[in-house]
Amino acid sequence: MTRDATPTRDQPWIFRTYAGHTNVHASNRLYRDNLSRGQTGLSIAFDLPTQCGYSSDHPLAGPEIGKVGVPVNSLDDFEVLFAEIPVEKINTSMTINATAMWLLALYVALAERRGVDPKLLQGTTQNDIIKEYLARGTYIYPPVHSMRLIADMYEHCLHAIPRWNASNICSYHLQEAGATPAQELAFALVNAMAVLDAIRARGTFTHEEFEQCVGRVSFFVNAGIRFVEEMCKMRAFVELWDETTRDRYGVANAKYRLFRYGVQVNSLGLTEEQPENNAWRILIEALGVTLSRKARCRALQLPTWNEALSLPRPWDQQWSLRLQQILAYETDLLEYPDLFDGSPVVAAKVKALMDDASAEIARITEMGGALVAIESGYMKTALVRSQAERLARINRGETIVVGRNTWTDGLPSPLLAGDDGGIFKVDPESARETLEMLRATRSRRSQGAVDQALRDLKAAAQGGKNLMPMSIACAKALVTTGEWATALREVFGEYRPATGVEGQRLSLEGGKVDAVRGRANAWAAQHGVRPRMVVGKPGLDGHSNGSEMIAVAAKHAGFDVIYGGIRLTVPEIVQSAIEEDASVVGLSVLSGSHLEIAKLVLDELEKQGAKQDIPVVLGGIVPDDDLPKLRALGIRDVFTPKDFDLMTVMDRILDVIGAPRESQRAASA
Amino acid sequence: MSRSAQPAPDPAPLDAATQALVARALRLEKHPLARLVSLVEHAGDAARARKASLFRHLAATPSAGRVVGVTGAPGAGKSSLIGCLALHLVQSDPAVRVAILAIDPTSVDSGGALLGDRVRTHFPVGERRLFFRSQATQGDRGGVGRRTWAVSRLLRHFFDLVVIETVGVGQSEIEIAHLADATALVTQPLTGDHVQFMKAGVMDIPDLFVVNKCDEEALARRSTHELRAALHTARIGGDEPRIFQTSAVTGRGIAELAAYLRGLPVRRPDPIHFVRRQVVETHGTYGLEVFEAERRRWPAGWAADAVYEDLEAAALRAVRARLR
Repeated sequence: MTRDATPTRDQPWIFRTYAGHTNVHASNRLYRDNLSRGQTGLSIAFDLPTQCGYSSDHPLAGPEIGKVGVPVNSLDDFEVLFAEIPVEKINTSMTINATAMWLLALYVALAERRGVDPKLLQGTTQNDIIKEYLARGTYIYPPVHSMRLIADMYEHCLHAIPRWNASNICSYHLQEAGATPAQELAFALVNAMAVLDAIRARGTFTHEEFEQCVGRVSFFVNAGIRFVEEMCKMRAFVELWDETTRDRYGVANAKYRLFRYGVQVNSLGLTEEQPENNAWRILIEALGVTLSRKARCRALQLPTWNEALSLPRPWDQQWSLRLQQILAYETDLLEYPDLFDGSPVVAAKVKALMDDASAEIARITEMGGALVAIESGYMKTALVRSQAERLARINRGETIVVGRNTWTDGLPSPLLAGDDGGIFKVDPESARETLEMLRATRSRRSQGAVDQALRDLKAAAQGGKNLMPMSIACAKALVTTGEWATALREVFGEYRPATGVEGQRLSLEGGKVDAVRGRANAWAAQHGVRPRMVVGKPGLDGHSNGSEMIAVAAKHAGFDVIYGGIRLTVPEIVQSAIEEDASVVGLSVLSGSHLEIAKLVLDELEKQGAKQDIPVVLGGIVPDDDLPKLRALGIRDVFTPKDFDLMTVMDRILDVIGAPRESQRAASA
Repeated sequence: MSRSAQPAPDPAPLDAATQALVARALRLEKHPLARLVSLVEHAGDAARARKASLFRHLAATPSAGRVVGVTGAPGAGKSSLIGCLALHLVQSDPAVRVAILAIDPTSVDSGGALLGDRVRTHFPVGERRLFFRSQATQGDRGGVGRRTWAVSRLLRHFFDLVVIETVGVGQSEIEIAHLADATALVTQPLTGDHVQFMKAGVMDIPDLFVVNKCDEEALARRSTHELRAALHTARIGGDEPRIFQTSAVTGRGIAELAAYLRGLPVRRPDPIHFVRRQVVETHGTYGLEVFEAERRRWPAGWAADAVYEDLEAAALRAVRARLR
């Protein structure tokens, strides 16, 4: 094959950076800076209260405002957030799920206020509720009502916002929650089927329109460090989706059967130890989803080297963006057709993945589909098991993680040496500005219009009418995020899914496990009851992997473990600890609010007169600077991603509760 | 008096610290209540004297609480139902006090347990009239054991209704019936649950039946009909027990079930069952024969009034003396 002097290059994928923090002013500056540096799309991170349907002045919101994303309370916030950004030109991806309809309604209301036809808006609302139940935790309503909101959005977008992807099926979070490649394929596809089944069940589309809807379904996929397998996984996705849409949904037009996907590469494998190594991991993971032309992503967002330490700084994000630009523009990657066609190795791997995934899909379909497998806890249990096995392999040294369990001695990283220690912190004062704006909005709007809009919304929810137009009306009336979500809570109720930890076993054995169990037994013999640990996941952060693994490990070590799932308030956790007469409380906080939450928990224990009796430990992404602060508050031990060895964690918790060591037992015997 | 027949209780009074806990627990303060629960859960002989003193001390306060066992297959929705029921009770009656004891299995490998029932109960914080406690089976036969027995006896001094959620179906039905005033079997519509119960031979144990997850009418009617047919076969000649149709989603039947449970007669279980269990566990079936012979020599009426811990101690003492 000959090549022209100026080869025809493929269009590069869309470059994105998942961004948003502090408040709408700071995030708007960040977006404009990123766009000026060559980013070609926006990927908006919302803070947890916005994602969980609470306004910033709700008690649960307090410690979380602006922490993991930007807070949005009303249309007034959107005005600022998109100031000087042409919404008719830019492709905007919003990582928003339970409240996706609300955020899209705000975007439409903003466009209309600016005189932009909503038909021009392009982008994606993540809006994948199933993976929220499984992995990410920002659900609000029960599955059937959540699916109705999603179907309403597809129905509305089809004609009113035809270039909008109403939802995005995420397998990303499934891998973060432990999914094997075959599980990632299978769970994502049954999830997509649940969405399409819900849309088809409406019976309001012609077949032609339904095909268009299928064509709007896009995916958000993870790419891990085993990049050859990951590349094969992407090819398997392409083929399985083509098959599913053709055979199950009768989609004739091949254009609508295309597997369209965006990627965020894996964060789970990034290490706190020798964090500079993460730069290479990110590069290699990016290759898995770009190398094969047939299975190349449409949009790519990369994490930053310091993600296991904190939220990224603008420079960190720029560094990751540069990686994409070099890959797309300096290399010859985009000049070739598919590199792997005809490779027997790749073909065999793809087939093996497809076979495994198809078997799993058949199992879940047999059960009654994704919603049934959510409610029964089947999928969640499978993920928790995979995650426990993955961690056990790292703990046993079977899976090598450089800098973590192998080649652990390294020179100090100069990247961490700057004045800020190489990490980003949200200014705790910045929430005031958000609350100020919310107060201003509440005082200047017409309460009558708000009440009317909310009444209409609830009536439509009860009556089964499409909720999108009512939500846009709410946005224009300056209804707040919390008001919109609560109106629907009153109609739909709230949901708590299975935790998946029950019945789990760790495949860890050996001297360390025996020693830890010996200490737990010795404590039990001393006290006449087994040590009891309350594992608490306070606040709105739903990334429950850490707390689930600790719960499973504590049981493995011989504790009686009380795990109440995610999104508990601090008083609820403290009440559990007191009623259960806990020997220790373990808190998991990944949102960066560890100082605020630790203080709240210890104050509440003190108020209940139990601070002396119940020690508290904490796990999370905690910068070194904060360790002495947590200690000073009264947190007895702190665990970070560095503490990946589960039995060592348990051993330290046994220290906290004063369990005797082998040597002490021998001495006292 | 022969050394083997010495049922007289050890007269040690309750220590001041525990007395203080009891006084605060009577005001339904959660922290002292929780610590008393741990105290009576305390295994081993060392704690028996203190437990006996505690129960003797408590005997002075009337114990009007009813103990209701709730059993049923995993997935029948026991936890959600109990949560709904408890919330309904405290919201509809400003005086009523409800405790829940939820039991989960202990892992054979590690001795640890995951106690996950709190996930499905979402109670208002600071409501003293609701108390939730989890318990691990710790190898107790049937998942309900001496510790359940001890905690239920404790809690009924403080609460009007003590609901015990068992692990699941099987032996636990039979065991729970020994310590509860009434036992409810929860079934899920159209899952063939009652066929399983019939096979397990536990259909004649429950005092009442609850067809849960009756979210819609047709389903409720069909399942109730099936259950009634199954009961007809299994309980020939007996009165038909009450069947309730409930739904934690719609709230259906919760008020009726609550009212029924509150109106149940207090039927104090016979502690001798647990004494026998303890004797068998310590001295085997031969020990049990010895015990039955010894028991006939106990003063008339003594066992009926004694605190369980004293009975147990006397029984073990008697058997040990004879076996020595």
